[in-house]
Amino acid sequence: MPVTVEIPKERWTGSIREVTLGATAEQGGTRAKTVTVGGETTLPFLHFEGEMPHTPIVGIEVQDSYPADWSPVLLAAWGDVLNDPAAWAKKAEEIGADVIMLKVRGADADGNATSPEQAAAVIQSVLQATGLPIIVRGPGQAELDNKLLVAVAEAAPGERLALGLCEDKNYRTIVAAALAHDHLVVASSPIDVNLAKQLNILISDMRLPLERVLMDPTTGALGYGIEYSYSVMERLRVAALTGDGMTQQPMVCFVGEESWRQKESRTAEGVPAEWGDIEKRGITWEIATATALLESGADIVVLRHPETVDVVHETISKLMAH
Amino acid sequence: MSRYIATRALRGANLIVKEFDAQLQKALAELGPDKEVQFTNTAYYLPTILGYTGMSVETIGGLKPVLDHCRGLLHSPPENRTWLPYLGETLDAGVATLLAEEGIMAIRFANGQEPQRMPGLELTGTSAPSDTGYMNGPIDDIQLRSWGIQLVDGRMPGFAAIIGKAKTNEAAVEIVRQLQRRNILIFLSGNVNGRSIIHQLMEEGVEMGYDTYIVPFGLDTISTVYPMGFATRSALTFGGMKGGQTREILLYNKYRVFAFALALGEVDDLKYATAAGAITYGFPVIADTVIPEIRPTGITQYEHVISMPWDDIEGQTDAEKAARFVQQAIEVRGVKIKITEVPVPVPYGSAFEGERVRKADMRVEFGGKYSRCFEYLRMVGLDDVEDHKIEVIGPGFEDVEEGGAIDLGILVEVAGRKMQEDFEPVLERQIHYFINGASGIQHIGQRDIAWIRISKGATDKGFDLKHFGEILYARFHGDFGAIVDKVQVKLITEPELHAEWLEKARTAFDYRNQRLAEMTDEAVGEFYSCTLCQSFAPDHICVVSPERLGLCGAYNWLDCKASFQINPTGPNQPIPKGNAIDAWTGVFDNVNEFVQQGSHGAVDTVTMYSIMEYPMTSCGCFECIMMILPMCNGFMIVSREDPSMTPAGMTFSTLAGMAGGGLQTPGVLGIGKYFIISNKFIRADGGLKRIVWMSSFLKETMAEELKEAAIRAGDPDLIDKIADERVATTEDEVLAFLEESGHPALTMEPLM
Repeated sequence: MPVTVEIPKERWTGSIREVTLGATAEQGGTRAKTVTVGGETTLPFLHFEGEMPHTPIVGIEVQDSYPADWSPVLLAAWGDVLNDPAAWAKKAEEIGADVIMLKVRGADADGNATSPEQAAAVIQSVLQATGLPIIVRGPGQAELDNKLLVAVAEAAPGERLALGLCEDKNYRTIVAAALAHDHLVVASSPIDVNLAKQLNILISDMRLPLERVLMDPTTGALGYGIEYSYSVMERLRVAALTGDGMTQQPMVCFVGEESWRQKESRTAEGVPAEWGDIEKRGITWEIATATALLESGADIVVLRHPETVDVVHETISKLMAH
Repeated sequence: MSRYIATRALRGANLIVKEFDAQLQKALAELGPDKEVQFTNTAYYLPTILGYTGMSVETIGGLKPVLDHCRGLLHSPPENRTWLPYLGETLDAGVATLLAEEGIMAIRFANGQEPQRMPGLELTGTSAPSDTGYMNGPIDDIQLRSWGIQLVDGRMPGFAAIIGKAKTNEAAVEIVRQLQRRNILIFLSGNVNGRSIIHQLMEEGVEMGYDTYIVPFGLDTISTVYPMGFATRSALTFGGMKGGQTREILLYNKYRVFAFALALGEVDDLKYATAAGAITYGFPVIADTVIPEIRPTGITQYEHVISMPWDDIEGQTDAEKAARFVQQAIEVRGVKIKITEVPVPVPYGSAFEGERVRKADMRVEFGGKYSRCFEYLRMVGLDDVEDHKIEVIGPGFEDVEEGGAIDLGILVEVAGRKMQEDFEPVLERQIHYFINGASGIQHIGQRDIAWIRISKGATDKGFDLKHFGEILYARFHGDFGAIVDKVQVKLITEPELHAEWLEKARTAFDYRNQRLAEMTDEAVGEFYSCTLCQSFAPDHICVVSPERLGLCGAYNWLDCKASFQINPTGPNQPIPKGNAIDAWTGVFDNVNEFVQQGSHGAVDTVTMYSIMEYPMTSCGCFECIMMILPMCNGFMIVSREDPSMTPAGMTFSTLAGMAGGGLQTPGVLGIGKYFIISNKFIRADGGLKRIVWMSSFLKETMAEELKEAAIRAGDPDLIDKIADERVATTEDEVLAFLEESGHPALTMEPLM
């Protein structure tokens, strides 16, 4: 006997905000195109239930000076361009990045501190090398971030960069810089729904429109708290879809940074043979982390290895097909 | 509103609008209506005009509608018989004045007369055409953004517009130094009989320019419109507003741009009129001469106009007077000062909180067995505290033998616009954590049983009594800056004074206890939420009321109230109780609604005073767990400190797994231990008389309080009738004990 099964559907009342990165010449910037993320009216990839008007996108990480601390697998994959952020960004665009994530390290491989002027010069050279929208992150120390990101913001007025990371310690300066020079911010909180929400409230209290705020819920790599990240992102998304206006920001996950930091991605010697080939292992780790986080609601995944980029692109397009 | 001020402001406004009219007619004739007007290197046209009217003036001809607008705002001075407040008219006049002043400035620009020439003036960093010989002119956009970021993120507290001339050159220098010390931007304009503070600073060799945060605009009052334009442009740039959103722009300035005006020397009609314009932005005016004050608050956050005649300011030198003058201005504007470091000669941080100082390592102790130590924090008036005053009254411990003891009293006096007497105990309890943060210092207890030890290591590094004051000053400002504006600390070792203040402190402690006892759930309109633990218990939400503290024991109702003042977007939000659905079990409609939202729909009803019906959920931080013992017709309470087996057949840690996680389980409840002695304690289920078993730890550590609660419950021997782990670890044993002791629960209404 044929049975009709009706798939139960959740009736969500809220939706994710649309956030557009980058500005074209018409919009006051110099980008060849802009990218919009967000707009979902359902949980990730549940096309039968609601809309996902914008495909999740892939960012590629570029650093302002040679990343001597990176895994040899990554160093080999990128080669010479690692010495030149502009060339690196250009190659990232060729490989298929939707956005560039430029990380200003704060010091070069020899330990010389990066000056605000140098940070400003780097963003200008990267802007010239690529037409993609850009996310810029500082070294991750509140005070240094403020100094360098303000210089970056000033050097690229109107480009609608996404400046980060905005944390509860330093959000005021970065938000002010975004207000002054017409940029976006990445609001980052340590794996906690209420703290993420609070930071969004504080940022919008400073009158930065929430259409210019991305949210970084903090990424745990596979085997290093990914389930915690998953759970918090899912809860943020459910809160957003049930109508909580302060959790409706698109989410960005810095997958490459987290997954290539772990032992499994870095260690070739002294590990069990069944761990397999180091090269494949690191890439697999990054792919697995990225895929899981896309499934938990990531709108942007920032990656490091060129091969991961291909696979993740393919995964996204399969998940989007319906 | 002072009639005097209203009259003078209206007169000033009428005059300046007439002047604007005359100059505009002349410019129309000489330059023509199409001649361009603009402030160089700035966007937003003529910013004050744009902000106030939405008009984008680009030519001389474009000033005509501005003039019409000014005229529409003018009123005649109040007649002698009018006694009503003239606030509206006066503020209108202020607005007309600013618009006219900016119009005049624009014409001057068109004539090449701005920035004004000032022979001999050298600026380090300026928007003027040259570093020498010019006033600054309008602050250009690049500088606006650079300072704007600092104003918005709080590194720069605000700006001071100084108009006129200080009493003496020394006074001028000292006022400016006081402002610089606090990172406050300084804008200069105006004169008194031809002499300006700009002259005074030039004569004294004070460096001016962007690099020193001192910007001279002009010798006339009209130049004061530049700071107002700066304020407007801040709102347009950083507040995302458009020209013509007048109300939003003004409110932005009131709440976010901490600016004030200092009127030095005689105040003439135009200065009054300009000041009225500044007040519309929420910027108060502080004068150093005798003028009528406008104390009621409203347009500005606090007082509008304050008079502090220079000669009457306390202080021997101009420096001392300047310090008080500027301090007053800061208070009137509500500017907050940030302190980031604790200046003590030993390492400081929460990592040192748990440190012990053993007898052998001890240099000196206060309190304990051999001396008396108390700490008392009280709220006093703003005028009764001198911020950062730290006094050691009486001998230090230099003469005390090594390992000896002396009496010490720590008296902290705080003042703040948002401070409330109810916050005294909340702040006072922090003293323990603050002092413990210093390496080599141990603090135990509170109130009049405080006990502090200083190690030899700490004294070797130079730690002294006054450093207690430095710690408390820095931390109260740092952590409680939202409610505390000023802090002074007295460290009292002088025996007579010590005795006197100990007595006063004890009186205050008694009063507070009394107040706490009287504070009932019925007496307040709001409970508070606590969602601090949602990071690991996502659906749990605590409702904290005066008679039911948080289950962790760390947050009572007053703590939550203070926490909300300090961090309005934080985890403790007020919940207006709303209507009682069931007053006896403690069900309130608004509380239910809040809990439903806060638990993301997991819990829709919660009782404040019942364990059996819709009990409150728990995160996992409870001090005690209660559970039903069905055979005994009552409940047991096990405390976190008690590792033994309970009559429920589980230890605390096993029970914790059941009770936590935000689940609503009738018959199981996590509580803070002081809830046990509350009059509302599971009142719907019979209250304290339902307790049939209790960890001996609770009986011992809370003996006094429990005894009193038993008396209130009408059964003075109740506590002795309750079993504990020493006599019963199974429910059968409990029952046997109850029957022998004659426990009331056995004859109460069946629970199930």
